[in-house]
Amino acid sequence: MKILLYLKSGAGRSFNAWRGILITWVTVLFLISLLVLPVKSGFKGMLGSSMITEQLKDTVNIDVISDLQQEIGAILPVIGAGFLLVCFFGFLLNIFLTGGIFTLLSNKQSSKSSSLFFSGGASNFWSFLIINVIITAIIILSVIVISVIPIMILSQSNSGNPEPGIMGKTVRIALIILALLLPVLLLVADYARAWQADNSEKKPFKAIGFGFMRTFKTFFLSYPLMLTVILVQAGYGALVIYKLMPAKPSAAGDVFLFFMLSQLLFIIKILMRIWRYGCITSAFEDVIAVQKDYQDMTGEVVSPV
Amino acid sequence: MKRYFAFTAACLLLFQSAVPQIINKGPLSERQTYYKIDARLNPDSKTVSCEMEAYWVNKSGDLVPDMQLHLYMNAFKNNKTTFNKGLDMSQADNKNDFGWIEIKSFTDGKGNNLLDRMSFISPDDNNRDDQSVIRIVPENPAKPGDTLFIKVRFETKLPVGSFRTGYSDDYFFVAQWFPKFGVYEPAGMRYAVKGGWNCHQFHRNSEFYSNHSVYDVKITVPSDYVTGSGGLLLNEEKESDGKNKTLTYRAEDIADFAWTAWPGYAVFNEEWNHVKITLLIPHIRKDQVERQFRAVKNALEYLTEKVGPYPWPYLTFVDPPTKGSFACGMEYTTLFTSMSGDKMPEFLHWPEMVTVHEFGHAYFMGILASNEFEEPWLDEGVNSFWEERIVDHYWGENSGLIDNPLLKISDKSFSRSSYIGSSNRQVITNREYSWNYPHGTYDMMSYNKTATILYTLMGLIGEETTNEVFREYYKRWAFKHPSGKDFINVVNEVVKSKLGDRFGPDMNWFFDQTIYGTGIVDYKVNRFSNEKIRDFTGILSEADTQRFVTNVTKDDTIYKSTVELYRPGDVMLPVDILIHFDDGDTINESWDGKDRFKDFFYTGERKIDWVKIDPGYKIRMDVNFTNNSMTENPDRVPLRRYMDKFVIFMQYFLNIISL
Repeated sequence: MKILLYLKSGAGRSFNAWRGILITWVTVLFLISLLVLPVKSGFKGMLGSSMITEQLKDTVNIDVISDLQQEIGAILPVIGAGFLLVCFFGFLLNIFLTGGIFTLLSNKQSSKSSSLFFSGGASNFWSFLIINVIITAIIILSVIVISVIPIMILSQSNSGNPEPGIMGKTVRIALIILALLLPVLLLVADYARAWQADNSEKKPFKAIGFGFMRTFKTFFLSYPLMLTVILVQAGYGALVIYKLMPAKPSAAGDVFLFFMLSQLLFIIKILMRIWRYGCITSAFEDVIAVQKDYQDMTGEVVSPV
Repeated sequence: MKRYFAFTAACLLLFQSAVPQIINKGPLSERQTYYKIDARLNPDSKTVSCEMEAYWVNKSGDLVPDMQLHLYMNAFKNNKTTFNKGLDMSQADNKNDFGWIEIKSFTDGKGNNLLDRMSFISPDDNNRDDQSVIRIVPENPAKPGDTLFIKVRFETKLPVGSFRTGYSDDYFFVAQWFPKFGVYEPAGMRYAVKGGWNCHQFHRNSEFYSNHSVYDVKITVPSDYVTGSGGLLLNEEKESDGKNKTLTYRAEDIADFAWTAWPGYAVFNEEWNHVKITLLIPHIRKDQVERQFRAVKNALEYLTEKVGPYPWPYLTFVDPPTKGSFACGMEYTTLFTSMSGDKMPEFLHWPEMVTVHEFGHAYFMGILASNEFEEPWLDEGVNSFWEERIVDHYWGENSGLIDNPLLKISDKSFSRSSYIGSSNRQVITNREYSWNYPHGTYDMMSYNKTATILYTLMGLIGEETTNEVFREYYKRWAFKHPSGKDFINVVNEVVKSKLGDRFGPDMNWFFDQTIYGTGIVDYKVNRFSNEKIRDFTGILSEADTQRFVTNVTKDDTIYKSTVELYRPGDVMLPVDILIHFDDGDTINESWDGKDRFKDFFYTGERKIDWVKIDPGYKIRMDVNFTNNSMTENPDRVPLRRYMDKFVIFMQYFLNIISL
């Protein structure tokens, strides 16, 4: 029942942080545009006044790609470098934005202004950076240990001819373990960031320690909470990608509507991400409001987590 | 001498009476060779112990002083063979990794030892470390009509599976495993200047040129092994101790005999018209059985309708397991191997493509037995052309190979891109022997460029005429040894009879530029313009006076429209031009492509708004379709759509990588 209350409280907090959502959307879109717009211009230049685009109406056409291989080859390193740069700055930008969002989500702050968002992002940046880097490193290490190494060992054993199906089984088992482990690590990261946003003293390592402590102390409450949120998010993300990517708007107006729709859906995706933060912040604070809501609904008294 | 001929004649009669026709009503080929092999697989030592009786009939008018046979398994004997030079086996250091044939006895029909008269030769490169061809000089040369009998006891040691043949653990694919006669070509055959054996060493890039033969093969394997071969199974019996079983196969009029044995095969049978089809596939891939049968039946249907009948009443094909992947994608006429994985997404038609391709070799190599060593394009290229047609016909003209909402690739486009995308596409012609292609261009030249050339030919002469060319090619050359020139002659005759002189007296100009040339095809719309026609402007002399007439527009709606076309490529092919005007009208023009440029002029009230060269994309050799058209209003919608999707991808990607 507490999970439901946290989910509800998290939703309320995320809606209240709408400024953070919009700022996140605009800044990320701007960053991505720095890569996409030059790429678009490059392709426009390649295609010139050709009508070959009629061959691209259905899907990517390998005939066109091979015809333009020299031109594409020339801009591919630029796209690759741009992609890496956008990923790098996107990672940093998201850390800054997350710092602001966690500040807005905290019940300590009655105001949810933009200035609070930016000041929160700035003050939390370095400690959030360390938290993100450490948790990301743990995730990467887990992927290597759980999936990459067993697959490599398996592929090199028996002269590269493993028993039929064993590779598939190994991959499946590794994916299941990773899927079960990921919510734990996200819980650690979220609790750590919620703690850090709540404390004026910036101690990222202490925050991570708190994250681990809180995660395992409230494991049977926090894990299902995180799992629920992740499943909803992943389901939404998969549905959106599954529906959007194959779409083939063919008229200029349709393409514009497609873009607007995709952005609306992405804003909802950001909202869902912030909902996760809100849920964990609720669980972290074990807020009075949640207790009150619960009492109003059930008449029972909720004990602190 | 007399005794010898009497003996051989008796043996021939004996053989002929002992091996009656079993599979087809009558011989399909002239059957110059025959093989009877008794083979026993020894799984522990990775060897096959064999006894073989065989003959070759001198059907030429020549006195033939010797015979030449392939000993292809010796290509795996050391790291210096012509096959292995600097390649896979150079890394092998275990005796068991290598493969070879050990000839234990070699006699003629009279029992005379021929081992002393045997020597290894290397007709292609004089490589003394290569023992993949032997030459035997019998006591007496073979006169026209003579039959040379041989009896050979040999043991074939299989190499660790790396290329086409060998073993992997308990998996065996036994190919190129027995001494096989080369082809004796009298003067005139395949335009040979003088008679002689055509018996090439074993090379990495080619493997087939043989006479169509009858094979009677007994194979003894452990009882738990499942086997398949290029023959029709006549009998199967267990040995008295129950540990081994002997399978008796018969094959008629095929160019090579191979077989496989593995305990892990699941066997499935289906029929298509008169053909009983057997599929050997790992148990784990049972969900792909329907896909595999569909592929082979589609190929049977298409080739039967458009080329000629598949004459054998049986067909066996194999999907090797992962550990037997070295045997994937090989053809032995009535036996072939596909290529797949334990998990294969439905949208990826790779197994279907390989199945169609390898089955196609039953026609292009099996029935129409060209020389793959000397003219690989006639084997692999022609077969690839048909593979692409079949795959795209049955699995989607734009999605034959990959059919996913996000990505669709046709087989013909995949092949064309391999040719267009090669930086070596102009380094050599298709006139070369298979081992002479430099810079790794063999595959691109033999498979992809040739298929693209044939698509271009079809674009010029039409689909029905192309089919007619191949029907005639089949009719004329089935179970014979056609050369490239023979094929081109058929093209010339059929095109002339169907299309008259539309393309000139023959099509040699096409093949000289494409198959036998290194040039590329490229056509380009340089520019088009629409200029208002102006009235007279300048000094007008009238009687004794001169007056200046100002620049007055005669009529705003009258334009002089110009189209400028350019041929950057070397190859000259006729192309269609489509010119579209802003009133919706179109004009079809044609250009013989002989000059470097071509201009078209139009005058009228309408303006040109776009121009296309080869609007149907029929000239698939054109290395750049992008410059084939020009418009005043390019359609940017697809590009915007892709960029929008790129934005979406980046947004979700950044969302995922940030915690």
